[in-house]
Amino acid sequence: MKQGYQNRIELLQGTLDLLILQTLRWGAQHGYGIALAIRANSGDILQVDTGSLYPALHRLERQKLIAAEWKLSENNQRVRVYRLSAAGKKKLAAERSRWAQISQAIAGILGPAGEESEA
Amino acid sequence: MKFPWGDRAQRKKELNEEIASHLQMAARDREGRGESPAQAGEAARRELGNAGVIQDVTHDQWAWTWLEDLLQDLRYAARTLRKNPGFTVIAAVTLALGIGANTAIFSLVNGVLLRPLPYAQPERLVGTTQYFPKGPLVVMRQQSRTMELVGVSDNKEFNLTGSGDPVRLIGNSVSADFFSMLGAQPAMGRTFHDGDDQPGKDQSVVLSHALWEHRFQADPNVVGRWITLEGMDREIVGVMPADFRFPSPKTELWVPLHLDPPNTGDYWGDSYMALIGRLRPGATLEQARAELKTMRPLVLAAYAWRMPDNSFVNASIVSLEEAIVGDARGKLLILLGAVSLLLLIACANVANLLLARATTREKEVAVRVALGASRGRILRQLITESVLLSLLGGALGMGVAVSGLSVLKATLPADTPRLADVALDGQVLTFTAVLAILTGVIFGLVPALGASKVDMTVTLKSGGQRSASGGNHRASKLLVVGEVAVSMILVIAAGLLVKSLWILSGSSPGFRSERVVTARITPNEMFCDVSARCVAFYEELLNRTRALPGVKNVAAVNGLPLGGGAEIFPGAIEAHPTPDGAKVPMFWEKIVTPDYLQIMNIPVLRGRAFTEADSAADAQAVVIVSKSTAEHFWPGQDAVGEHFRPKWEQEWRTVVGVVGDVREFTITQNSADWIDGVIYTPYGPHAIRGSGAAAPPAEMTLVIETAGDQVQIAGELKNTVASLNHDVPVSQIGPLKNWVAEAMAEPRSTSALFAVFAALALLLGAVGIYGVVSYSVAQRTREIGIRMALGARRQEVLLLVVGQGAKLALAGVAIGIAGGLMLTRLMSGLLYGVHATDPVTYGAVAILLMFVALAACFLPARRAMRVDPMVALRYE
Repeated sequence: MKQGYQNRIELLQGTLDLLILQTLRWGAQHGYGIALAIRANSGDILQVDTGSLYPALHRLERQKLIAAEWKLSENNQRVRVYRLSAAGKKKLAAERSRWAQISQAIAGILGPAGEESEA
Repeated sequence: MKFPWGDRAQRKKELNEEIASHLQMAARDREGRGESPAQAGEAARRELGNAGVIQDVTHDQWAWTWLEDLLQDLRYAARTLRKNPGFTVIAAVTLALGIGANTAIFSLVNGVLLRPLPYAQPERLVGTTQYFPKGPLVVMRQQSRTMELVGVSDNKEFNLTGSGDPVRLIGNSVSADFFSMLGAQPAMGRTFHDGDDQPGKDQSVVLSHALWEHRFQADPNVVGRWITLEGMDREIVGVMPADFRFPSPKTELWVPLHLDPPNTGDYWGDSYMALIGRLRPGATLEQARAELKTMRPLVLAAYAWRMPDNSFVNASIVSLEEAIVGDARGKLLILLGAVSLLLLIACANVANLLLARATTREKEVAVRVALGASRGRILRQLITESVLLSLLGGALGMGVAVSGLSVLKATLPADTPRLADVALDGQVLTFTAVLAILTGVIFGLVPALGASKVDMTVTLKSGGQRSASGGNHRASKLLVVGEVAVSMILVIAAGLLVKSLWILSGSSPGFRSERVVTARITPNEMFCDVSARCVAFYEELLNRTRALPGVKNVAAVNGLPLGGGAEIFPGAIEAHPTPDGAKVPMFWEKIVTPDYLQIMNIPVLRGRAFTEADSAADAQAVVIVSKSTAEHFWPGQDAVGEHFRPKWEQEWRTVVGVVGDVREFTITQNSADWIDGVIYTPYGPHAIRGSGAAAPPAEMTLVIETAGDQVQIAGELKNTVASLNHDVPVSQIGPLKNWVAEAMAEPRSTSALFAVFAALALLLGAVGIYGVVSYSVAQRTREIGIRMALGARRQEVLLLVVGQGAKLALAGVAIGIAGGLMLTRLMSGLLYGVHATDPVTYGAVAILLMFVALAACFLPARRAMRVDPMVALRYE
């Protein structure tokens, strides 16, 4: 079971990291908030699995790409809030341009194939 | 980085809280959308998934998880080992033998070869590979820009007289700056001053700590006392600390060299000694070597006469460590190689035990996989277990090493260089620890890889009785074949050495050793400055000894065979003049009284033995030569009647007899490589002295033919000597047989060590075969039962089982023979009279190994024959 989670993390790792960093660009946020934001911003398509989210957050924290602190929420609840670090901002910029390249490349591959099938 | 455990516990608590707050927020949002609180909580939890697993995976993202896992693995491993005491004990003892033997031999190698010499900047110390006389030393000391050179004589003996019984002490003559060059400080007093090696100023002596303690009762006021050594008064100027043992642990005192150029024979021709030195700052060993070559012509030019052109041509400079250790290196490395093979066998054995057990543990592993353990995690767990096992073996092995090392130190010849430095120290402990961990990983890896591959559905379904363990069994068969092959190599090596020893003890040293007692008589060298006094002393001593009860006959010789000492001098043969500049033949001379040849049973092959008349001052000077000397210089001719003389004399001496060869030098060599001939001269005025002295040697050894081998005459002999001269020590009184046995100590110790290794290898190999065959019998109980139910006879079952073991053993033996042919060549230097590929030894060892292998199959085979078909078939 633990194995299963690990496999999914490996599949999602790069993408999920990018999504987390991007979400934190709008300001500090707790884990639940990040999950909600990703879901909302993707038009409910991307469901972030909690079993992947927290390991990813703690891994990014260990890599010093994000920083965490305990704060009180609007409901007076103690929550752990994450924010982007300087290194995280740099990483996000690099990952964004890489993602752009990859999606362009994949689109390039898929495009003609789609035309053919239509023809 | 700091990750204290408290911090980690705190983080776990925080993670718990973080996830709890996530759940609360999710539930609150759902309530906001109109769900009931109970519904909302339930749905949020479902959406979240397994909180425990999430936390677990998140922990893994933190650093240092492995440490926690390790502790957990160790606890688990310890529990598993405790639950299987039989397996644990067998495996740990096997490993203890392998690791212990390696530790003992490694501490030997470490002490002798690896540990730096205990002097200041030991890496700068060097030594020459050849001996030089005093003259060349002085020339090179003045010339050398790369080294500070000092001379160190071989062990010499000094009579300490005037205080109680005369005793013979061992000491070395050294250059005045010997101690300061090594950087050695005295424990008391001082060492030598510059110029202490000049005549007139060389009356000082430095004592070893042991001598000071035993002979001088640790007298704190010993410095400044005068003692009489070899008839010369010397002042004790200092005492060295206990750990200063140069050049050998036997050294009891140091005296300065006596540098007296007018004494030409001693200064330029005799007194060859080892040179050691320290590289000057900035100089390298290569530069020192090159400089030695350029200094050689200067040295030869300093001689008053023309030296052979190739004198000192092979001399070179090596590190002092290498100069001291010399030949011992090869032998130690061979021993180290042999014990590592032993460890390999032990590893294979334990790996096999683990493989057999892995089958029974398949179910356990499958359950763990099903519970979510990854393959890496299980692999790590299994390796932890095997490393723990080998650490246990290593700890036990330290016990084996401690006792093994004390046995080793007692078994090895006392003249093994640096043996006193050998100890189990921090370095050895580190070696053992690293070895144990490596061992654990090596023998644990194969079984762990196999076990972690378990297919959980198959295993769990099959109920754990039989499963896909075919791979494991193949691996264990391969291991056994390898084990037998390695054992075979070790047993062949031991067989070759034992056969060498057997041939050696069967071969005659050229003289008889039964019913002969010997005793060294050592007057001061000065006592014989007056030749007549010395000759009269020995004549009277021989007469009185001959009259002692139980004595049949007695003779004297300047040194016993087998390295007891001889005069060495350059000679000339009338039939073979040496051209100028060519190497002058060197002779090994035994100075004997007439009855020596008869008492020692050395056969006179041609001509005659000496008579009393040959010793007379006015008699014609005659010599006797050994058989191989006669064949070397006068091949195919009769040596008797030919002429010979020492290089410096004018008159020729006539050869009157040829006698049988004697092992003069060592148990395997008649004389040293650089010696060209062995000659005998009669004791008296015609004895030839290497130093050119006119008088016969002062030290002689009595060879006494007795009725039995007893040494009852020791006391009477001492009294006889004392009644003639109070100041003459008598030492080493004992049967000649013991002297011969001592000469065999080195080959005997090597053979004994290898025999022990081989016995262990055989034992471990047998256990290995036994393990595999009995495991396979257990696996095939059902099949055997079916065969018997179908009418197979017991003999057929026996053949089935034994045949399986025999096949493995045969494969191992074949590989072992091939390996032996490759590896035993390395030890041909240790063999005598046996070729490294001796077919008889190989054949005998192969038969022995097959026999042991079949014996190991016997127990499981008997078990197989007793299988009750009914029980076997009901078994599943």
